[in-house]
Amino acid sequence: MIEVLHLTRTFGAVVAVSNLSFSVKPGEAVGLLGPNGAGKTTTFRLLTGSLGPSSGEIRIMGRPITGDPLEARRHIGYMPENAPLYPEMTAAEYLYFRAELTGLRGEQRRRASRQAAEEAHAASALGTMIGHLSKGFRQRVALAAALIGRPPVLLLDEPTAGLDPNQVEQVRALVREVAKERAVLLSTHVLSEIEATCQRAIVLSKGKIVLQGNLEELRRPPEGEYVLTVRAARAELEAAVALAVQPGRVDLVSLDEERFELTGHGDPGAMNRLLGTLLERGVHIEEAAPRRAALSEVFQAATRGET
Amino acid sequence: MKLLSASWVICKRELSSLWVTPLAWVLLTAFLLVQGGVFYSIVLHSAALGAEGEAIGPLQAYFGQQSVLLSMTLLFLCPALSMRTFAEERRTGTIEVLLTAPIHSGSLVLGKYAAVLLTYFFIWTPTLLYAALLRGTGAVDVRVLAVSYLGILLIGSSYLALGTLLSACAKSQLVALLTSVFLQFGLFVLGIGEYVLDDGLLRDTSSYLSLTTLFEETSRGLLDSRRLVLHLSIGAWALYVTTRVVESWRTS
Repeated sequence: MIEVLHLTRTFGAVVAVSNLSFSVKPGEAVGLLGPNGAGKTTTFRLLTGSLGPSSGEIRIMGRPITGDPLEARRHIGYMPENAPLYPEMTAAEYLYFRAELTGLRGEQRRRASRQAAEEAHAASALGTMIGHLSKGFRQRVALAAALIGRPPVLLLDEPTAGLDPNQVEQVRALVREVAKERAVLLSTHVLSEIEATCQRAIVLSKGKIVLQGNLEELRRPPEGEYVLTVRAARAELEAAVALAVQPGRVDLVSLDEERFELTGHGDPGAMNRLLGTLLERGVHIEEAAPRRAALSEVFQAATRGET
Repeated sequence: MKLLSASWVICKRELSSLWVTPLAWVLLTAFLLVQGGVFYSIVLHSAALGAEGEAIGPLQAYFGQQSVLLSMTLLFLCPALSMRTFAEERRTGTIEVLLTAPIHSGSLVLGKYAAVLLTYFFIWTPTLLYAALLRGTGAVDVRVLAVSYLGILLIGSSYLALGTLLSACAKSQLVALLTSVFLQFGLFVLGIGEYVLDDGLLRDTSSYLSLTTLFEETSRGLLDSRRLVLHLSIGAWALYVTTRVVESWRTS
């Protein structure tokens, strides 16, 4: 479990992250979103203990990282951005090295490396020099290294950066799989990544959390926005809409000849009033629901003003 | 994980990295070509002088008596070996893997330093053949041989520690190499002050730092304990500061 309490980090006069508080529970994948320079990398460096906080506290599995950084790091599997690896080593040698760094020796080391490679679907690359591996396999080897010793906390910094679409899907599937029993924090600026792998998202802007919650909550629009799919003749539908709502409050889009999508906004009862009028006039309602915002809209609204 | 145990893990990786890539082999080859040439010239010169004209033995000459060739070699060998220790890891980003591992900063520094020191020692090992070749002539003094290698190891230990520190402070291998060469050349020049300065503290300091004087002594089978303490202290200080630098990456 990751717990972050009032975390602040400054570099001279520059505040890189300010008063961050969040937690990630086991079995949960949380996306850390933000434009470039929002403080994602600084947050990750603080969480891995490779940078000290100016104030605030980080607890990994209940232990403060500043009090006993070595013990806290033992519980963290970390995959840095761009998967930095040693090209002159084979994947197996690299995983053995990473296993030894966590204190594993002999048969334990071999077993843990093999297990992590299988979990990350990198076992077929074990005998190959890392410098000869494709980018996708390199990412898998880096993920396998983070999984060695089955750490309960996983920190993945841009895990699909630079991959082709097939490789992206493979890595996302892996992340979903490994997140079932671990606390996973994933940093990215690719919104579809969050939607494909995470249950929750934290949006950073200028070093501050501007939004956090589960994806369903984040996508919920301001109350009063709705979408209806209906079947009716256009003239009849336009007349009904004109009766129920003020002009300009509903957009009407034709899906086919007598099928339309109505996107409206207004006070909280606006959708019900329009539905009542449409039903009275015999319009067939196929679907009626509050509008769900795309995550990109939420992200843009939260980080507006940043370049 | 215990300090030494973690150091050994780092040392093994560093050794494999040095010897799997061409760096150590290129250095070994260049070093042996230069040393072979130097030794050949010294032996030819000794043979030309004959037994009566011999002021010093060929082995003593090779190990630095009345010669700066050995000192010059070290001024390039040590920086070339130590330049990549931290600078290369920082350039490629792999330093992040090491900094986030559950090991002490001291283990990281000690492991990398041990690897370059072992490599340095290994690179010198083939030169034992020169002594074996001279055995037939009876010109080999075992004490001179042992103390000379001890002197070479002593200088290597302090210069490689300084090089490791400069590699931790530099962001590229080239900068690490150049600053290390300049620093060690500066120490060499300071050592020459022993011959040109008037008596006093500066001359004494020059004398203690002098590479040529150290090799003059070790090639006679002598090692001044003050020089031993000085170079061990320089090495320990450089490694301590390197550890603080690495620790500062983790905490500041």
